[in-house]
Amino acid sequence: MNTDLVKAHLNLNAVLVNLEDLVVYDEEMAALSKNWALSIQFIVRNGPRAHITFENGKCTVGRGRRKRPSIILYFFSPRHLVRMFDGKAQPVLLKGFTKLGFLLKDFPKLTARLEHYLKPTPELLADKKYLALNTRFTITTAAFAVRELGLLDPVARAISSHIGNGVVLMKVNPEGPAAMLRFQDGGIEAEKGDTAKPMSAMLFRNLKTANDILNQKLDAFTAIATGDVMPRGRIGMVDSLSLILDRIPLYLG
Amino acid sequence: MKTYTYKKSVALFKRAAKVIPCGIYGHLSPAPLVPATDYPFYASRAKGARFWDVDGNEFIDYMCAYGPMVLGYNDPKVDAAAMKQLKSGNCITAPAPIMVELAEHMVDTIAIADWAFFAKNGGDVTSYALMTARAATGRKKIVLVRGGYHGVAPWAQAAGHPGVIDEDHSTIMYVEWNDFEGLERLVNEHPGEIAAFMATPYHHPTFVDSELPAVGYWSRVEALCKKNGIVLIIDDVRCGFRLDMRGSSEYFGFKPDLACYCKAIANGYPISALVGTEALKTAAAKVFYTGSYWFSAVAMAASLATLKELKRLKAPELMMARGKKLLDGMIDIARSHGYTLNVSGIPSMPSVYITDDESLMLHQDWCAECTKRGVYFTSHHNWFISTAHTDADIKKTWNVVDEAFKVVRKKYGM
Repeated sequence: MNTDLVKAHLNLNAVLVNLEDLVVYDEEMAALSKNWALSIQFIVRNGPRAHITFENGKCTVGRGRRKRPSIILYFFSPRHLVRMFDGKAQPVLLKGFTKLGFLLKDFPKLTARLEHYLKPTPELLADKKYLALNTRFTITTAAFAVRELGLLDPVARAISSHIGNGVVLMKVNPEGPAAMLRFQDGGIEAEKGDTAKPMSAMLFRNLKTANDILNQKLDAFTAIATGDVMPRGRIGMVDSLSLILDRIPLYLG
Repeated sequence: MKTYTYKKSVALFKRAAKVIPCGIYGHLSPAPLVPATDYPFYASRAKGARFWDVDGNEFIDYMCAYGPMVLGYNDPKVDAAAMKQLKSGNCITAPAPIMVELAEHMVDTIAIADWAFFAKNGGDVTSYALMTARAATGRKKIVLVRGGYHGVAPWAQAAGHPGVIDEDHSTIMYVEWNDFEGLERLVNEHPGEIAAFMATPYHHPTFVDSELPAVGYWSRVEALCKKNGIVLIIDDVRCGFRLDMRGSSEYFGFKPDLACYCKAIANGYPISALVGTEALKTAAAKVFYTGSYWFSAVAMAASLATLKELKRLKAPELMMARGKKLLDGMIDIARSHGYTLNVSGIPSMPSVYITDDESLMLHQDWCAECTKRGVYFTSHHNWFISTAHTDADIKKTWNVVDEAFKVVRKKYGM
């Protein structure tokens, strides 16, 4: 198994997707990006492809290729992409030389803010607004990472292949954030948001509990007994999902 | 009907969580109880088919300590035998004579047994069975049924569980339950490499229905194993003495080479056993395998008394009949509320699910509502019937079941 390949998929398809919510819930980032009208295509040789589109104050992140991107960033290998996410390498700009100012000045502000929200400290988590956004991004990253690991990580793939059909909901009660994983005939799709009729659910009492569980600071067995985490529905699905969630730190430490 | 609360259980759990990993670990963890907050966490005492939690709530127990309780909690004959042995000695530098007496009794009782080896838990003897098979055949590979439970040793846990590494499964191969052709294919693909095929007498995984063996399945498996020099191991830890005193393999009409026992063997006293055929006795003797408390004479005395009492009561037939009566009544009550209660497995160890809601949330709520009214039902594990469950218990259970259906019907409708 190529660890860098898995990391590349996770970074492009599970981390970057949080930009969609960053420009919604962070006022400064919303203001920064509201007039952006461009798209970025990421191409990794022997690796994943993804694209980001900014339009009408909205950000959309997608897998694969998009038509006529404004900017194309090329990476020689999954390792190259991983090093860029670690701040140790630069991409090759294949298209969008006129957008160099955006790439060097504006876009990094957005990614730096995302990084800020994804690297919590106890002090930062004491702030309610930060806790809310960090938890939202953590749930989204977890859901989308499960999808990637279910495709690429051999152990996760073996686990997910035995998960029955249906939607597993991860949700902070009472009003979210929430994310869903749709298992269907061996395939997995992740999406943000809630559903009224999941096949199974992992419900968190509040933001703090969700944050602690998803960041491996609290064991789920204890939290279930205290009612801080409430699994419902097909428990075997939740059980299997938990095993895959446990594998995320192997790649996104 | 009054519903229970669990203030003291919760308080005790909070203390426990500070000093014990996950508060209550393993199969007694509250985690698979849904919702966990509707269940008691700690028991203060037990008698017959009932237990009382630390809040003073009384439950008719359909989990029977997850199987060990088979004659009722604190059975006087079993306890008297254990106490008598305790006064003579328990863990001593040399084994007590009761060990020989128990082994002889098991050899006389279990159809395939020419010898018996004692340990403490089911997992001790499933691992010992694999080692014995490997010692006897000189082969490495083991075939298991996917989803089957054989304890918590790394080889027995599914890949991906914390603490389990890929190498733990390097010699383990899986087939689906009842898939004789799949097993035959594996055997043909690995000639001379498979030491053993281990399975439970029937398939009783958690979270889903139990499945009985298909007609002819076991006889074909037995013949395939014999033809290819593969040791056939039956894990009778959960079913043992609840289907047939002679072994669950007799109930299904086949003869394994090794059989693992625990749970119902001593009515709650800690002991397990591997029994086997004469052909494997030398291999079993060569495997060095032991534990600090495996010669505990008290548990052996309890086991001997339990097995005698089970035989006297014709316990498997009795538990089957009681289970059938209970379940038939429950199915009728469910139907009267417009619900379908599906029962699989065997009546003394039924897997019960309400099938009207695919997500099982309705089923979980119904089990929890029953439990809060004094009938302890888990929603994702087979239940157990003991000889101590009485007609009065069954009648009370039906009343609670009826009310619980009314409650869930209000919430979910039809």
